[in-house]
Amino acid sequence: MFFAGIAWLTVLLGVAVVSVGRARTTAERLVALDTAVLMLIGLLGLVAAQSRRTYALDAALILALLSFVSTVAASRYLGDRRPFTEPEEEDP
Amino acid sequence: MGAWIADVLIVVGLAVMTLGVYGILRFPDVYTRLHASGKASFLGVSLLLVAGTVGGGPSAAARVLLIVVLLALTTPVAAHAIAQAAYHRRERMRTAGAVDESGRCPGATTTPSRDLGA
Repeated sequence: MFFAGIAWLTVLLGVAVVSVGRARTTAERLVALDTAVLMLIGLLGLVAAQSRRTYALDAALILALLSFVSTVAASRYLGDRRPFTEPEEEDP
Repeated sequence: MGAWIADVLIVVGLAVMTLGVYGILRFPDVYTRLHASGKASFLGVSLLLVAGTVGGGPSAAARVLLIVVLLALTTPVAAHAIAQAAYHRRERMRTAGAVDESGRCPGATTTPSRDLGA
């Protein structure tokens, strides 16, 4: 069952990567990329369960953290052209 | 008995993730695509990760618990950040019957109407 799950999730990951390329705007691209990384996390979880090793789960944890930080930084940069706004220079 | 629960969790998780990818392919604009990405993908990943811990030991279960709690905290924040960026950039709302009361985004009406999607 884990093998079938890995195969189907790989197909879904391919579709998500294709939808990254087919997105019209940058925000749609970010959404598709976020979903693709979530699928990669699920794939790592299935690989860890199938091989009975836990190091793939460590990689999945790091990937989850990295995906969050990169998505927030990229969308903040997309929204107002700098990744982190400081409170004192918020609005003149 | 344990393998049975794992199989059910994997099938349900894969179905939910398939729905998430289908929503990303089929929904017309960013605001509705976030709806599929933020909820369906997170729930599918959580189910798949929990399915992996059914026959495993406590170390795998602890890691999976950490990942699921972390994703539950970070996925809504990331989706909100993307939606805020799209709204600041005045991205077009392509959904039929979309309402934006500030009139900021093109493609949406400023007042909600009774017949949605007419």
